[in-house]
Amino acid sequence: MRDDITHLFSRRTLLQGAAGAAAIGGFSGLASRPARAAETALDVFAPLPPDPSPPGAAKFGEAAFAAWQQAHDAKVKYELLAWPQLHDRMATAFASGTSEWDVVYMCAWVPEFIDFIVPYADKLPPSTVADMPVSSFKTVTWDGKRYGAVFTLSLLTLFYNTEHFEIAGLKEPPKTWDDLKRYTKELTRDGRYGWVLDYADSAGIGGTASYWMCFLQQAGGTMYGPDGEPVFNSDAGVAALQMMMDLMKLGTDPGSMSYAGINDATNVLLAGRASMMMNWPYMWKPAQDPKQSKIIGKLGGAILPAGPAGSASIDGTDAWTVTATCKDPALATKLIDFYLSPEVQKRQALDTGWLPIRISVLGDPEVQKALPNASIVLEQAKHPYNSFVTQNYNQITQAIGTEIQKALQGRQSAKQAMANASEQVTQIIKHS
Amino acid sequence: MGSSLTVVRAGASARAEPTGRSVSGTFEQRRRRVGIGFVLPALLVLAAVLGFPIVQSLLLAMQHVRLAAGHMHVRWIGWENYTDLLADDSFVLALANSIFFSLGEVVLVTSIGLGAALLLNHRLGRFGILRVLLIVPWAIAPVANAVLWKWILNANYGVLNAVLKSLGIIDHYVVWLGEPMRALTLLLLVDVWKSVPFIALLFLAGLQRIPRILYRAAVLDGANGWQRFRFVTLPGLRNAITIAVVLQTIWSLRVFDLVFVLTRGGPADGTVLLNFLAYRVTFNFLDIGSGAAIANVIFAMSFLLAILYIRLLQPTKREPAS
Repeated sequence: MRDDITHLFSRRTLLQGAAGAAAIGGFSGLASRPARAAETALDVFAPLPPDPSPPGAAKFGEAAFAAWQQAHDAKVKYELLAWPQLHDRMATAFASGTSEWDVVYMCAWVPEFIDFIVPYADKLPPSTVADMPVSSFKTVTWDGKRYGAVFTLSLLTLFYNTEHFEIAGLKEPPKTWDDLKRYTKELTRDGRYGWVLDYADSAGIGGTASYWMCFLQQAGGTMYGPDGEPVFNSDAGVAALQMMMDLMKLGTDPGSMSYAGINDATNVLLAGRASMMMNWPYMWKPAQDPKQSKIIGKLGGAILPAGPAGSASIDGTDAWTVTATCKDPALATKLIDFYLSPEVQKRQALDTGWLPIRISVLGDPEVQKALPNASIVLEQAKHPYNSFVTQNYNQITQAIGTEIQKALQGRQSAKQAMANASEQVTQIIKHS
Repeated sequence: MGSSLTVVRAGASARAEPTGRSVSGTFEQRRRRVGIGFVLPALLVLAAVLGFPIVQSLLLAMQHVRLAAGHMHVRWIGWENYTDLLADDSFVLALANSIFFSLGEVVLVTSIGLGAALLLNHRLGRFGILRVLLIVPWAIAPVANAVLWKWILNANYGVLNAVLKSLGIIDHYVVWLGEPMRALTLLLLVDVWKSVPFIALLFLAGLQRIPRILYRAAVLDGANGWQRFRFVTLPGLRNAITIAVVLQTIWSLRVFDLVFVLTRGGPADGTVLLNFLAYRVTFNFLDIGSGAAIANVIFAMSFLLAILYIRLLQPTKREPAS
């Protein structure tokens, strides 16, 4: 009996069986090939939620996203990564030529990766472009061509704890630098701090240097002259840093020097342990979530206090771009147009807290009601919000941020820090 | 059957031709040739997997390779990347930080590991559960470990502050990662916590190889506890300690995850180690040539230590009895 079984499963029989299975598999593959060929796959590289993520990746607009894929006979595949790792992953993939993405999220990196993306945004429907702030294209435009479309209006604005304000007898948000300093001092009491921010990471948007850029513009300064040389080692540059140092002494949470991401600082404000901070608009929604916040109904917002030259901010520059190796640029452009459609933009705002970029959706009563900070961000957008994005943005902000950190720790004066930073940035530009 | 026949034939030939070129020698040569043939594919794979990146890294470090504006700019510059490093304050600081980190790590891990091994080798410490508990820090995934410590050390909610304050050791919460030297020291301690288990187990294995009779003889000779440790335990652990020191030095040069998760090199570059700097220069600044030069410095240091390690592992030749 055993011999019979051995015979039944002899090597030859197995090989014959395998060949038959392969033939059937091959035939079925042939039969189904026409159906598969019609479906186009798009690969999208994006941040993981809670950072700004597309529909289907974040929990919003899922039905519309499925309908879009069906209507376009397309399959969209997301590759999602935590925001701090996006830049380095992209740099590696682009440099090694292994990028297979069609649509890529960008944040201040358009000049850096300019040859790996295409200026598709010049072909966006005029109706879409007309409904977006002209200034939103500033950080995605290079040599007069638009390489991306910003999909969320993300400027830093002021957030504060209204209950702390009431206790301190403060009736309205600070409007000037002097107000901000005075408020910070008065609100630092009972184990709480007046101001909190994340100063541990020097580089990039949301790094220490980028926060200083807000104060720099509020002081009337700028980063570069017409010849591209750094000009921030000026009275305005020093005043901006001195303002940060003053806030540090008057009542900044000392932990700010150790917080390496905005979420660390946000948690302090949401726990009621600090009274004011500047933050991105997305913060409004988690502040109303009882799982994340102890200050529900106590969060106020305002534009950033004005320095000698007025209020100013920086731009988060969250944008969609199309890669130079895109398999189907026309379809990729359609996908981004879908991301920017009023319906998706509205769900993005209502469900995730990331504000829309479309002016019409920003003005939508339902959005305004759900996100009272939308009008504040719109107001902030009337003031300068230059992020001073360049090809070597990370290296430059690392150098400046490190000098700022030393000054914030009291290891050097604001003047010395600006001089050191200027010297380093000059060398970086010279060697790049 | 075939192989045994071959052995017999080889032995017979060796007896027949005691001098000159023997059949046994020929067999040995053939055996070696066949062996090399079998090993060659693996050697080729190793050369491709290990050799190619090393050569490529050495070549990259001799060039200006920079990804800027979407272009890969490549230019041969010889030793310039290395000479630039010497003038680079960030590199000098990272080198100093790495030396401090490595020295501290070796001293602490070795001494704590030895202490733990001695306790575990004691009759009261021979419960299996103690060894399982010891291994836990080592078994935790590196990034998970870093995140765990990030919360422990948090200035506002960290359990370390809460415990120390409740014990009256501190009167206000401390920003553990807010000052360069303190942050670097904390990173060191966290890495020591993770590294001690492996070294302790290494020492424990060494301790269990020391013949008990030596201790009994020492007791009979009137040696006290310290003398038994000094003249029996330490010499018995000599090889294990040397290997632990070399391995721990190499591993401490590779630390990256803690810096990346806990401090990102801050504050003010106070916790930048060489490995993190190589990463930052390569992937943040896209200066691939300089990044390769830093990586090669780490490689050279590790390579020298690895040679030392291999030499130490070689069995010592016994002097022929006179």
